[in-house]
Amino acid sequence: MNNLNPDTNREFSVVGKRIPKLDAAQKAMGRAEYIQDIKLPGMLFGKILYSKHAHADIVKIDTSKARALAGVHAVLTGEDVPKKMKMGFYKDNPPIKKGKVCSFRDEVAAVAAISPEIAKKALDLIEIEYEELPGIFDPEKAMEKDSPLVHEYHKSNVLNLPWKLHYGDVEKAEKESDFVVEEKFTTQWVTHCCLGTSGAIALFDSNDNLTIHTNTQIPSLAQKDFLESLKAMGLVNKRVRVIKPIIGGGFGSKLDTYAYEHISILLAYACRKPVKIMFDRVEEFKATSTRQPTVIYIKQGCDKNGKLTFRDMRMVLDNGAYTSWGATTPSVMMMPITSLYRVDNVRFNAKCVYTNNTYSQAMRGYGNPQATFAIESTLDMLAEKAGIGRVDIRRINRNQPGDITPQGFKITSCGISECIDEVEKEFAIDGPKEKGIGTGIASLIHVGGGARIYKSDGCGAILKMDDYGKVDIFTGGTDMGQGLDNITAQIVAEELGLYVEDINVVHTDTDVCPWDVGAHASRSTFVAGNAALGAAKKVKETILEYGSKFLDADPEDLVLRDRAIFVSGDPEKSMPIDKLLRKAHFSPQGKMLMADFFYDPDNENMGKEFKGNMSVTYAFGAHGVKVKVDEETGKVQVLDYVAAHDVGRAINPLLLEGQVYGGVVMGLGYALTEEVVTRNGQNMNANFRDYKLFTAKDAIKIKAPVVETYDEYGPFGAKGIGEPGCVPTAPAIANAIYDAVGVRIFDLPITPEKVLAALKEKKSATTEI
Amino acid sequence: MRLPRFKYLGPETLDQALDLLNTHKDDAKILAGGTDLLVRMKKGLLKPKALISLKALNELSYIKKQDGYIKIGARTPLADIIASDLIQKEARALFQACEKIGAVTIQHYRGTIGGNILQDNRCHHYNQSDFHRSGRQACHKDGGKICYAREEADRCNSTCQSDGATALMALGAGIILAQKGGKRTVDLTDFYTTDGIMPHAMESHELLKEIIIPVQGGQSAYHRLAYRSAIDYPIVCAGVFLKPSQKNEIADARIVVGAMSRSPLFLAQASSSLKGKKLNDTYAFKKAADVSMDSAATFAVHNVGATLEYRCAMVSQMVIQALEQAAAAIKA
Amino acid sequence: MTTNISFLLNGDKISYEIKDHWTLLHLLREEMGLIGTKEGCGNGECGACTVIVDKLAVNSCLYLAIDVDGASIETIEGLASTNGTLHPLQQSFVDKGGIQCGFCSPGMIMSSKALLDENPRANHEQIKHALAGNICRCTGYVQILESVEAARDKGGQNE
Ligand SMILES: Cc1cc2nc3c(=O)[nH]c(=O)nc-3n(C[C@H](O)[C@H](O)[C@H](O)COP(=O)(O)OP(=O)(O)OC[C@H]3O[C@@H](n4cnc5c(N)ncnc54)[C@H](O)[C@@H]3O)c2cc1C
Ligand code: SF4
Ligand code: FES
Ligand code: FES
Repeated sequence: MNNLNPDTNREFSVVGKRIPKLDAAQKAMGRAEYIQDIKLPGMLFGKILYSKHAHADIVKIDTSKARALAGVHAVLTGEDVPKKMKMGFYKDNPPIKKGKVCSFRDEVAAVAAISPEIAKKALDLIEIEYEELPGIFDPEKAMEKDSPLVHEYHKSNVLNLPWKLHYGDVEKAEKESDFVVEEKFTTQWVTHCCLGTSGAIALFDSNDNLTIHTNTQIPSLAQKDFLESLKAMGLVNKRVRVIKPIIGGGFGSKLDTYAYEHISILLAYACRKPVKIMFDRVEEFKATSTRQPTVIYIKQGCDKNGKLTFRDMRMVLDNGAYTSWGATTPSVMMMPITSLYRVDNVRFNAKCVYTNNTYSQAMRGYGNPQATFAIESTLDMLAEKAGIGRVDIRRINRNQPGDITPQGFKITSCGISECIDEVEKEFAIDGPKEKGIGTGIASLIHVGGGARIYKSDGCGAILKMDDYGKVDIFTGGTDMGQGLDNITAQIVAEELGLYVEDINVVHTDTDVCPWDVGAHASRSTFVAGNAALGAAKKVKETILEYGSKFLDADPEDLVLRDRAIFVSGDPEKSMPIDKLLRKAHFSPQGKMLMADFFYDPDNENMGKEFKGNMSVTYAFGAHGVKVKVDEETGKVQVLDYVAAHDVGRAINPLLLEGQVYGGVVMGLGYALTEEVVTRNGQNMNANFRDYKLFTAKDAIKIKAPVVETYDEYGPFGAKGIGEPGCVPTAPAIANAIYDAVGVRIFDLPITPEKVLAALKEKKSATTEI
Repeated sequence: MRLPRFKYLGPETLDQALDLLNTHKDDAKILAGGTDLLVRMKKGLLKPKALISLKALNELSYIKKQDGYIKIGARTPLADIIASDLIQKEARALFQACEKIGAVTIQHYRGTIGGNILQDNRCHHYNQSDFHRSGRQACHKDGGKICYAREEADRCNSTCQSDGATALMALGAGIILAQKGGKRTVDLTDFYTTDGIMPHAMESHELLKEIIIPVQGGQSAYHRLAYRSAIDYPIVCAGVFLKPSQKNEIADARIVVGAMSRSPLFLAQASSSLKGKKLNDTYAFKKAADVSMDSAATFAVHNVGATLEYRCAMVSQMVIQALEQAAAAIKA
Repeated sequence: MTTNISFLLNGDKISYEIKDHWTLLHLLREEMGLIGTKEGCGNGECGACTVIVDKLAVNSCLYLAIDVDGASIETIEGLASTNGTLHPLQQSFVDKGGIQCGFCSPGMIMSSKALLDENPRANHEQIKHALAGNICRCTGYVQILESVEAARDKGGQNE
C-alpha cells in the first residue's frame, strides 16, 4: 500500500490544532460570494416551468405568448432538448421532459429573460394541455403486476440494478440461532435544506466553450456531464470550465448534476449570453433531491451467548420517477449490513422501484442511516430477547483491528470499543432507571479512507511556492463549508514547516485544479489530504536538497520549522525558507519549486457479489443519548447526547467537532422532526415553517469525545468524519425511547403522535391480559 | 422573492388612515408589522392595490390600565406585550401566548398584536406558492367549490392558529373597531366567524384600534403544543381564565381552545362545569378537560400536520395543564 | 411608484430613490450591491436576512424598504472597523467554529449583536431565545452558541 505517512508519533506544530476555518473571516464580514451574489455583465435570468401533475401526457404546449413577451430571449421545451441529453447514471432523465411528465418535479419548459419578473411572467404565459394518467406513489404497490408503468419503455417499474448479496448461509444460521428478531422499518424523505439555495450561471465564449458557475460537490464529474451535454448539442471537442462559488451547504445534494444546470447551458447557448438560474426556497424544496426513503425488512439472530449469527435484510426503495445516486445507496448500505459488528452470515437484497414521486440523491451518510436504524434497533430487541445487556451485546460482537468482514473489508484501525467506553463514561446505558427517562446507544461503521464507487477514487494536487515562502495549492477537493481548505493547508504547512496563513488553497476552478472524484463518502480529508501531503512531500524533498547544499549539511539532518530550515543539533545553522527559495530561483539554472501529486487510494472496486475492500480504512463510532418522554403528549426531549468517534487523528479538532455536532443535529431532525410531506407525489411542506429543522432553541449540548487510533494510511493518521455524525442518531433515539417508556417506533420520524399511539396500544394490550 | 407591486400609503394620523380606508376599501390592506400580510402577498394569495401603513401611528401603540380594562393599542409590537409587567401579572395568558409566537428576532419586534389576531387562517393546501395552487381547481378560499383539506366539504376548513386570539378570548377580551366617523366594540367571541374564508367579521373600511381586557381579578394561563420550540405554530393550544370566589371556589371560568378549528373555540359547557368547584379539584379539571375535548372535536378540522385524532387527544392535555397553572397562580 | 427616502446605513447618510414594493433586503442586495445580507427563504422563516433597524434585529425580507425612511440600519458590512479589525462577535464566530458554510452567519451575527447590545450579559438560554429565528443547517448550533458566549465574555472587546 502507498503509505505516505511520516512518523506519526512526532510532535506537530499545525496538525492537531484548533485553527479557525480559513474563509471564516471573509464569511463573517459578509464578503464571501455565493452563487446568489454573482452577476455577470449582460446576464439573463432563466426560470423553469414544472409539471402540474404527478403523471400525465403532455397533449399540447403553446409557447407563442411567452415568446412574444418583450424582454424574453428564449423559450425552450422538451422539443429543444437534444435526444441524447440525459442526466443521472441510469440516463433516464432529460433536463426538460417531452410528451409525458412523471412527477411534479418534471421540467416542462424554460425561459430566459432580462429580469426574473419577466421570466416569471413568461412562464405564466406558457399554455400546456395535459391528460392526467393514474399515478403510483407506493413503491411496493408499484412492484405489483398490474401497476401503471412510470416509464413504458422500461417495461417494469423495478430498476435493473444488482443490489443483492449473500455470504455464508443465512438460512442455516437462522435455524441454528437461539434468538431471532424479525421486523419491518420505514424511513421517510428528508432533504438537505442547504441554507444557500441552488443556482448556476452558464455562458459560452466565442468559440462555444462553456463556463459554468455552479454549486457542485463534484467539479470533475460535473465537467464530464456537461461535456456530454455539449456533445449531445452537437458541440464536440469543446472545453468546459466549472467554477465553484462559495457553497452554502452541500451534504450530498450537489453530488449529481441537475436539470437547472443543463437548462442554464441550453438557454445560454440559445441566447449566447450568460444565463443565471437561481432557486427560491420553494423550488429548492420541490426540485432538489431527498434522502432515499426505504421500506426495510430485517431479521437478525444470535446464539445464547449473544454472538450474532446472521443478518438478513430486504429493502424496497422508492426511486421516484428518475434515477440519481439515491438508487445506488444500497451499495453503501451493504457496509453496515455486512460489517457493522461481526456477523458471518449475511444476506441483502434491495429493489429500487419507479414511482411518480420525487427522486433521491446522495445525502450525508448515503444509505447508512437507513440501514443502521434497522440494524441497531433490532440489536436492542435481540439483546432483550436473549437477556443480555445492550452494551454487552455490542461489545461481544464489536469489530476489531485485523478483521476481514464477510464483504472483504479489511479493518485496519478500529476504535469502536473505545467509543463505547466513552459513551458509558457519560452515562450508564444499562444502569438504574428513572420514570420516563431512558438511554440509548447505537454504533456505526463508515468508510473512512475513500470509497471506490467510480473507476478512480483519486484526487490531484498541484503545489507551487513563490519567492516569499508562500504556497498556492490547487486541489481537486471541494470545500462546501466542511473545512477541506483547512485540512489541506494544515497538512501542507505541517509538512513544509510553514504557517497556515502561508498556504493559499485553491479549490474552485477546473481550469486550474486537477481531477477529483468529488466531495462524498467522507473522503476529502483522507484522499485530498493525502494528495496534498504527496505534493508537499515532493517539494519538501527539493527544499531539503537545496538546504543541504546551502547549509552544507546532510539532508537527513535537516528540519523544516517556523518558516525556516534548520540543521538539527546545530541551531546556528539555519536559513529562512523564503531566502532559500529565492536563492534557488535566482542562481544559475534557477529553479522554482512546484510539484504535483495524484493520490488514488489502494481500495478496491466491488467485485462479484460486492466483495472487495471498498475503503482503505473505516471510521467507527458510538452514540449515546438520554431522553425524556412525556407520556401524556408523546413528546421526546433529548437531555444529553454523546457522540464518540474514531477519527484516526483529529487534524483540526475545532472543525471536526463542528462536523460531529452538525451531523448529530441533522440526525436528530431525521429521528424526530424532519419529513418531506407529500400528497399524491406533491410536496406539501416546501418551507421552513412546515419542514421542521431544529432551531437554536431546540439545540442541545453535545459531547463529542474523539478517539484517535492513528490510521496507518490516513494523512497524519486521519480518517474521514464528514458523514458519520448523522448515522447512528435515529436508532440511538429509538432505543432510548424504548428504554424510557417501553415502546418501539419503527417508522421515522418519531413524532409525538406516533409515540403516544404506541403507548396507547401498549396500555390496551396490557389491560387485555 | 419579490412582492407584487402596490402603492404605499403612509397616513400620519388615525383619521387620515380611516379616510384612506374609506376611499380604497377592498383595494387596500392595512400594513402593521407585515409578517403575515407580506408573506401572503409574496405567495400571491392576495394582491392589494395599496397598503395603508400604520408605521407613523404611534398613537396605536400602548399598553395601559384604565376604567377597569387593560387597553392595548392594535399596533403594539408583541415584544412590548411580552415585556409588560402589567400583562405578565394581570393577563398572563397573553404574555405566555405572545412569547411563543414565531421567534423573537423576527415576529416579536415587527409583529403586532393587532396583526396577530387578524392574521389569516392557515391551510396546508392554500398557503402554497401560486404555481402550486394554479395546478388544480380553485378551492373555496380561492373562489372555487372544493376543499382539499377535507374532501366533499362544502366549506373551507382552514385553521386559525393565532396564539394571541386564543389567549385573548380566554381573557374575555373585546376589540374596538374604528371607521370613518364611528367605532364599535365587539366581543372577541363574536368577532370570529367560523368561516375559514373570511375568518373574522371586519369590514374592509374598518380598522382595529384597540384591544380591551376586562380586569376581573383572576388568573389566566396559556399552554400550547408544537413540534419545535420556535418558528412553529401551535397544533393545539388552550387559554383559560379562572376567577376565585371568597371561599376559594371557582366563581367564573373560561376555557378556549385554539388551532383546532376555523376560529378559537370558547367552550361554554366545559367552562361552566367548573363553577363552584374547588381550586384544587383535580377531578373537576380532568372532567372539564374531557368535556373540552369532546366539544372541540365537533368543530375540529384536519389541516395542520398532525392527525386530527392526536390533536383532539391533546386538547384535554393542554386544557388541564393550563387550568393547573392558572389555579396555582391563584394560590400563590 | 417611487419615493425618495433617507436613512443611516452603517453610520453613513444615504438617500435613495426606491419603489414602494421593494423590501429592505431587495434594496440592500439587488440595488445597493450589499451582498452580505442573505436570502434563505424570503418569508421570515430562516433569519439569513437579519439586519438591525433602530437597534432591533428584523428580517429584511419582510420589511418594506420605504419603512426605513429616517431609520438607522446596521448590516454585516458595517461591523468590522475600517482598518479591517473584526467586530468581537465576528472574531468569536471565526475562532469558535461558529461558521461552516457561512450562509447563516451574517444573520446569526446580526441577531447576536442586537442581543448583546441590549443585554451584554445575556445567558445561554437568552442567547438561544434570541437566535431562535436564525436557522443553521451546518453547525447544529453548538459552536454558534459558544461563539456568542465567548463574545459576551470578552465584553465587547477583542482579545
Ligand atoms: C416564520 C413565522 C412564524 C410565525 N409564527 C407564528 C406563531 O407561532 N403564532 C402566531 O400566532 N403567529 C405566527 N406568525 C404570524 C405573524 O407573524 C404574527 O401573528 C404577527 O403577530 C402578525 O402581526 P403583523 O403586525 O406582522 O401583521 P400584518 O402582517 O401586518 O397583518 C396581518 C393582517 O391583519 C391586518 N391588520 C393588521 N393590523 C391591523 C389593524 N390595526 N386594523 C386592521 N387590519 C389590520 C393586515 O391587513 C393583515 O391582513 C408567524 C409568522 C412568521 C413569518
Ligand atoms: S381548507 Fe379552505 S383553504 Fe384549505 S383547501 Fe379547503 S377550502 Fe381551501
Ligand atoms: S430570508 Fe428573510 S427570514 Fe429567510
Ligand atoms: S454555517 Fe451553514 S447554515 Fe449555518
